Amino acid sequence: MTRPDALRATAARARGGAALLALALGAAWARPAAAAEPAPPDTALRQYLGGLRDSTDAYFGRAAAPLDTAGLDSALAWGLLHPDAPQRRQTTLTLVPTFRYNRADGPVYGGTLGIGRAEGAGRITGRMSWAVGPRDLLGGAAWDKRLTRGPAEWRLGVSGGRRTQIIDRERSDKTWAAIRALTTGSDSRHYMREDGFATHLERETPVWRVKVGYADELQSPLETTTTWSLTGNRADPEFNLAARFGRMREITYEVGVQLPFMPVFLQADHSTSSDAIGSDFEYRRSRFAASGDWALGRSFSIVPQVAYGRLSGEAVPQASFYLGGNRSLRSIRGSSMGGTGLGLARVDLIGHDDVLALMRVPHPDAFPIHAGAFAATGAAWGEDPFGGRTIPGVDWPNRQDWLHEAGVQILYRPGIPDSDGYVRISYAWPLGASDRPGRWMVTYSRALDLVDRIAR
Amino acid sequence: MHVLLLAITALAVATEPGPTLAVEDTVYTSVPEVLVRAPRVTLNEILDRVALGEARRDSLLSDQAFSFTMRLVGHVGGKREPRLLIETVDRVYRKKPDRVRAVRLREYRYKEKQRESVQAEFNAGMSEEIVNFAFRPEARRDYTYSIADRAVVGHHVIYQIDFEPRSKLAFDKPHGRVWVDTNDFVIVREELHFDRSPAPLFLKDIDRVVVERGRVDGFWVLQRVLVRMRMTLPIPTIGKSFDLSLMYDDYALNRGIDDALFDGEPRAEGR
Repeated sequence: MTRPDALRATAARARGGAALLALALGAAWARPAAAAEPAPPDTALRQYLGGLRDSTDAYFGRAAAPLDTAGLDSALAWGLLHPDAPQRRQTTLTLVPTFRYNRADGPVYGGTLGIGRAEGAGRITGRMSWAVGPRDLLGGAAWDKRLTRGPAEWRLGVSGGRRTQIIDRERSDKTWAAIRALTTGSDSRHYMREDGFATHLERETPVWRVKVGYADELQSPLETTTTWSLTGNRADPEFNLAARFGRMREITYEVGVQLPFMPVFLQADHSTSSDAIGSDFEYRRSRFAASGDWALGRSFSIVPQVAYGRLSGEAVPQASFYLGGNRSLRSIRGSSMGGTGLGLARVDLIGHDDVLALMRVPHPDAFPIHAGAFAATGAAWGEDPFGGRTIPGVDWPNRQDWLHEAGVQILYRPGIPDSDGYVRISYAWPLGASDRPGRWMVTYSRALDLVDRIAR
Repeated sequence: MHVLLLAITALAVATEPGPTLAVEDTVYTSVPEVLVRAPRVTLNEILDRVALGEARRDSLLSDQAFSFTMRLVGHVGGKREPRLLIETVDRVYRKKPDRVRAVRLREYRYKEKQRESVQAEFNAGMSEEIVNFAFRPEARRDYTYSIADRAVVGHHVIYQIDFEPRSKLAFDKPHGRVWVDTNDFVIVREELHFDRSPAPLFLKDIDRVVVERGRVDGFWVLQRVLVRMRMTLPIPTIGKSFDLSLMYDDYALNRGIDDALFDGEPRAEGR
């Protein structure tokens, strides 16, 4: 642009800006004619609220002091006339180094680059990492978009690439698994490789959620490559359950709802993989879960939860149900039993008072400790993904195949990443005719961990 | 006459020192009882009307402009003098359904070297969810309610309604009290408390949250949100306890803000 052109453009911008300023000041600062009319007879209400306001002022002091308005008019005029002033928007570009660890991949070094906002045009995330154990490059990209319409939110996501996935679909927390594997060697999850893409569309309201998804992934087994841990313990278990190799094409449906007038959440998931959509696997996988919590006075909550799952068709390990661990039976090692059917019922009693404070034990404010107890019963039946005996039963197992337990737990709630997430030190005793020993666990999970609570 | 009276009084005070009693002049009266036959409004009806009143209020607003002040004051409630750490002032223009523009008018930071600008994000919604989050129809399944008090204030009947989360595990949901003006069935004030910290690792408690509305051009609009928080460990500069205030002043409502004011601004989420 030549200098005269630039000057003309500047002048035009200034004229436009002046018009804009007049428009903004005229429209939004001028007092309405109605303001000149006599005030409605609500002086008493103003005094009533003013009295409350005065006590608020006294409590908050400086934070509640009136605004000094000197200079604001001219600042507004300048701000409206200079729309090209440096934008102070929050940066939407993030670069985060990542580290993970499991016995199949070993240490995984990498990073994630994200740009954009899910609320705007969508957020694009790229990830790249190097798995030291199998000497494999992992990576991919994802696009996530969120759209709010009234009280409802739409979410659309597309992701693709190469990644390591946990075989047990109900245990997706890789972070806590990596911490345990790295520090103690104990990691009961099993892993597989996925190459492909997945997409989902979800609508969530404050009351219900519906999600539809499609995935096209080449699933392949992984072997254990790394057995060390920082404390010198070997990986436990040392083997990694082999996923069945093949191209998985799957359509998933998920519905979640909160019942009216009670804190009970219901969730139903159904996945179908079929030759008709080009999949190497033929199965239908359904799971239903319900979780609720009720207050017992001000000091305790009782949390009953149930889950039921059925897999029909091919019993591929990556679609099977697994029993054991913090989110199912705690007296059994995580994902150590499996089958094509799953039944689980558990009730947790969670204390809200800080037991150390009650016992007058000095401790930092950041570490309130709570007490709790639990009891559970569960069974997995059908074809065993570990190759063991098939436990009889199609829709329901035999009575003697149910396992029972009870236990106590010490709880710490850090408040992050979930406000209702607890670090639990649990001890579980098997009940009934069983030769299983009691078992200690240190885990992290949310209070209602069998359902995905509605977030809005 | 008055001068004479004053002189006598002064003389009496001078000659007879000591306590005196005022003459009792209270007027007693009684009025006939009125038997009220109208059924008392139930809590559920009040909650329904509050939800409708809030929705009506929101529906009548098409655009608004206001000055927004965000203030962070550290070292509160202790021996040290409270210190203003951050103060920002923005003029915000909103127009339904999805237009928002904020113009920064002032920015003060205690540490001038701090490079990051403090930003508040605004959406296009005018429903003021921070005021009525517990009184939306969908929130009825999450909270229990009770009438704490009623009062006649001038030509208004003010209901005080307490609300509490049904779940004690919903640590991010506060309990509190709202003041409802039953002329419009709109919430005019709210006080919130958290029984337990939402994040005990670094936040000891949220001592008190006050949300105030004021009446502008016939509408009840958000005027102040004040929060006091205590940390588990003191933070340099901020201290262990701090106040956060959000103030909304100089409202201009339904003035027909021209779309040209928002040129160049991205569309916003409306809620």
